[in-house]
Amino acid sequence: MLVLFETPAGFALFKVLDEGKLSKVEGLWQEFNSAESARQMVKLKAFSKFENTSEALKAATCLLESKPSKDLRKFLRTHCDGETLAVADSKLGNAIKDKLKIECVHNNAVMELMRGVRSQLTELISGLAGQDLQPMSLGLSHSLSRYKLKFSADKVDTMIIQAIGLLDDLDKELNTYAMRVREWYGWHFPELAKIIQDNILYAKAVKLMGDRSNAAKLDFSEILPEEVEAQLKEAAMISMGTEVSDLDLLNIKELCDQVLSLAEYRAQLYDYLKSRMNTVAPNLTALVGELVGARLIAHGGSLLNLAKQPGSTVQILGAEKALFRALKTKHATPKYGLIYHASLVGQAAPKHKGKISRSLASKTALAIRYDALGDGQDNSMGLENRAKLEARLRNLEGKELGRAAGSAKGKPKIEVYDKDRKKGPGAMITAAKTYNPAADSILGLMENAASKDDEEKPMEEVAVGQEKKEKKKKKSKKADDERTNGNVEAENEESVKKEKKKRKKQVVEAGGENVEAGEKKKKKRKHSEANEEESEVPSKKEKKKKKKNDD
Amino acid sequence: MRPPRGRGGGGGFRGGRGDGGGRGRGGGRGGGGGRGGGSAMRGRGGGRGGGRGGGRGRGGGGMKGGSKVVVEPHRHEGVFIAKGKEDALVTKNLVAGEAVYNEKRISVQNEDGTKVEYRIWNPFRSKLAAAVLGGVDNIWIKPGARVLYLGAASGTTVSHVSDIVGPNGVVYAVEFSHRSGRDLVNMAKKRTNVIPIIEDARHPAKYRMLVGMVDVIFSDVAQPDQARILALNASYFLKAGGHFVISIKANCIDSTVPAEAVFQSEVKKLQQEQFKPFEQVTLEPFERDHACVVGGYRMPKKQKA
Repeated sequence: MLVLFETPAGFALFKVLDEGKLSKVEGLWQEFNSAESARQMVKLKAFSKFENTSEALKAATCLLESKPSKDLRKFLRTHCDGETLAVADSKLGNAIKDKLKIECVHNNAVMELMRGVRSQLTELISGLAGQDLQPMSLGLSHSLSRYKLKFSADKVDTMIIQAIGLLDDLDKELNTYAMRVREWYGWHFPELAKIIQDNILYAKAVKLMGDRSNAAKLDFSEILPEEVEAQLKEAAMISMGTEVSDLDLLNIKELCDQVLSLAEYRAQLYDYLKSRMNTVAPNLTALVGELVGARLIAHGGSLLNLAKQPGSTVQILGAEKALFRALKTKHATPKYGLIYHASLVGQAAPKHKGKISRSLASKTALAIRYDALGDGQDNSMGLENRAKLEARLRNLEGKELGRAAGSAKGKPKIEVYDKDRKKGPGAMITAAKTYNPAADSILGLMENAASKDDEEKPMEEVAVGQEKKEKKKKKSKKADDERTNGNVEAENEESVKKEKKKRKKQVVEAGGENVEAGEKKKKKRKHSEANEEESEVPSKKEKKKKKKNDD
Repeated sequence: MRPPRGRGGGGGFRGGRGDGGGRGRGGGRGGGGGRGGGSAMRGRGGGRGGGRGGGRGRGGGGMKGGSKVVVEPHRHEGVFIAKGKEDALVTKNLVAGEAVYNEKRISVQNEDGTKVEYRIWNPFRSKLAAAVLGGVDNIWIKPGARVLYLGAASGTTVSHVSDIVGPNGVVYAVEFSHRSGRDLVNMAKKRTNVIPIIEDARHPAKYRMLVGMVDVIFSDVAQPDQARILALNASYFLKAGGHFVISIKANCIDSTVPAEAVFQSEVKKLQQEQFKPFEQVTLEPFERDHACVVGGYRMPKKQKA
C-alpha cells in the first residue's frame, strides 16, 4: 500500500512496509514515536517537488476542490501502478479512482498513519529539513489566502450588504438634517412646520421662499398642492416668528440644499439596491420586498449563509436580543424579527401577525434557497408563494369573521373578563359571597375608598378582591377566616393581628399603626385593580406593542 | 433554535451577548475592524473603551520614557510585565517599530545600550492575555513552539502569540471570515512566523497541506460545536502529548443554562475526545461567562516507577 502525503513543498508517496500494523489503529501512533521506528513503518517511494509557488498554488487549489491536479495525476500514474493508495480525503480518492483507476482507501487507520507521517515528516523525507519546509508553507499560504480573498464567492452579496447599510445611514442622517432645517427655520416661520409635514417638501419650500415675506409673491404650485400653498401664504402674513438676516437665510438654504441632495442620492441608491436585489435574489424580493430582503441578507452575512438557515431562524432574524432573553427566562420567544416589516405581515391584523410571519418565514426560507442554489432566474416561484400567502391571510381573516361571536379560540368572550378571578381557587368566589366585609375593622374605610374610586364597580368584584387580599395577608390564618362567619368582632380580628405582630416581635402598641398601613396598602391595590379592569383591552394592545418594540 | 453556525461574511447573530445587556463594555469593535466580520460574530464587545490593562496612565505618550518603566519576565516564558505607573502585560515586539492594532509600545534600554521594544497586551481584547492574568498555570505557548490558532480573527492575539513563539516558532492562524482574514493576511506579511489560513476550521483536511505537526492548539472559535472542531484539528495536527488551550464562551453554546453547567459539559466532551483537561480558569473580569480550559492530548500513560 502507498500513502499519498501532500506537503507545501510537493507531493510525497510513502510505501507502507508493515501493513499488518494498520489493523491496530489505537497503537499505530507508537510506531511513529521515534524516527527509527517510523522508518521501519513507512519508506519514501517518490517525491514530486513543486517547481515554483504558482505550481504549488495550482496544486493546492485543486486539492481544495478535492480534485487531483495534472501534475499529481502524472506523478501517480508513473509511481502508483497496481497498488492501493491511501489518501487523506475520500473525495479526492474517488476522483483518483475515476480518472486513474487506482484503488484508494480512506479510513481511520489511514488518518492515524497520516498523523504519524506528519509528525516524522522531516525525518522521513531526506533532504527536506524543517527550515526548508517553513518558507514553502509560508509562501503557499500567503498566495492561497490572496487567491481566496480575491475570488470571494459572495462578492455580489457584499454590495447589497453595504448598500442597505448605507441606506439606513442615509435615512438617519437625512432625518437629522431635516429636523435641523425645521428647527432652524422655525425661528423665522414656526407655522410652516405644521403646514408642511413632509421633510423634503419643507426643504424645497424653504429654499424657494427664503424670507417669509416673499411667500405672497411666489408661486409654490410646483412643489405644493393648492390648499397647502394658500395656507402657507396666509400663515406667512401673520407669522409670529422672529426676523432673520439674509446671511442666516443663506446658511439655512445651504442646509436645505444638503437635505435635497441627500434625498436625491438616497433615491438613486434605493434604485441601485432594487436592481441588485432583483438580480441576486428575485424570489426573496418578490416575497418580502427589497429592503427586508436586503436586511435579511445583511444579517445572515451572505445569501448562501442565509440559505443554510431554517425558516424558524429566518422568522426571528433580527430579534436575537428578545430571543435569548426569552430563552433564558423561559418566556415565549419572539414571533418576528426583521420580517415584521414585510408588507404581508404589515397587512395582517395584529392577531394574525404571528401566524402569517411564520408562514411567510418558511416560504422565505424556501425562496432564499431557490435564489442561492437554484437555476431559476425569474421570480415566478416567489410570486406564486406570495399569492398563496395572501390567500392564507384572507383565509385567516375569513375565519375570524365566522366566529365573531366568540373569541379566537372559540371560547365565550366572558372568559376573558373573568380571567383574573380564574387565577384564584374556584372556592374563593363562592366564599366571597358569604363573607361579610363588615366583620373587618378596617373595611368601612376601605369601602368608602372603593366607592369613591369607581362606583360602577360591581359589589361582588370588590368582595373578591378583598377576599384575595385577606388571603394574601394572612395565609396562615386561613382557618380563622373561615370561622369568621360574617360576625366576627373587631376585637377578635385585632387579637389575631396582635398575635401576628408578636410573632414578628413587634411592640403591641404599634398594632394600630400597622392596621392603618395595611389599609393604605389595600387602597392602593384597589386603585390598581380598578385600573386594570378599565384598561384590560388597551393593556393587551400595549403588550403587543411592547413586543413589537422588542422585536 | 440555536445561534446559527454561519461562519462566513458578516455572519450569524451578533453575539450571544445580546441578552442581558448590562455591563457596557466599551461597545463592540467598531466598524469592520477587530473581531468584526468573524465567525458567527463573536460579539466580544471587548476593547477600546474598557479600561486598558495599562498604559493609559500617562496619557499621550503612554508608557514611553523607558527609564521609568521596568520590564520583568512573567512566569510564562516569552511574556513580560511592564512595571510603570500601572502594571501591564507585554510581549517582546518581533517587528520593532510596528504596532499591529494601534496598541501602545514600550521601548526599554538594556545595560549594553541596545533597545528592546515591547507591545502592551490588552486582556480585554485577548482571551489568552485574560487567561494569563487569570492565573493559568501554563499556557504551553512558549518560544520556539509550533502553535495552531483556530479563530484568529484580525490577528491581534495572533500577533502576540507570534511575539511569544519568536522567530523559531510558528503560528498557523486559521480564520474563515474574509473580512477579518484580510487584516490577518496583512498582519502576517510583516511576521514571517505567522502562516495565515483563510479556511473553515471545521474542515482541517482543506489545510492539511499547509500545517505541520504542532505542539499547542489554541482555539477561540465560539461555536456550539467547538469541542468537536478542536478534536478534529487535534486528530490531524496535534502531536501526541501536545497541549490545547480552548476558550469557551458559555452563551455561544447554550444561553439557557448557567455558565458553569456549560463549562462542565464542554469539559466532558473534551474528555471523550482523548483530551485530558488540566485546569480551567474563568476570564472574569475581562470577559463575562467565559472560561479557559487547558489540557493535554493523548498524554502518555505514566510509567510506574
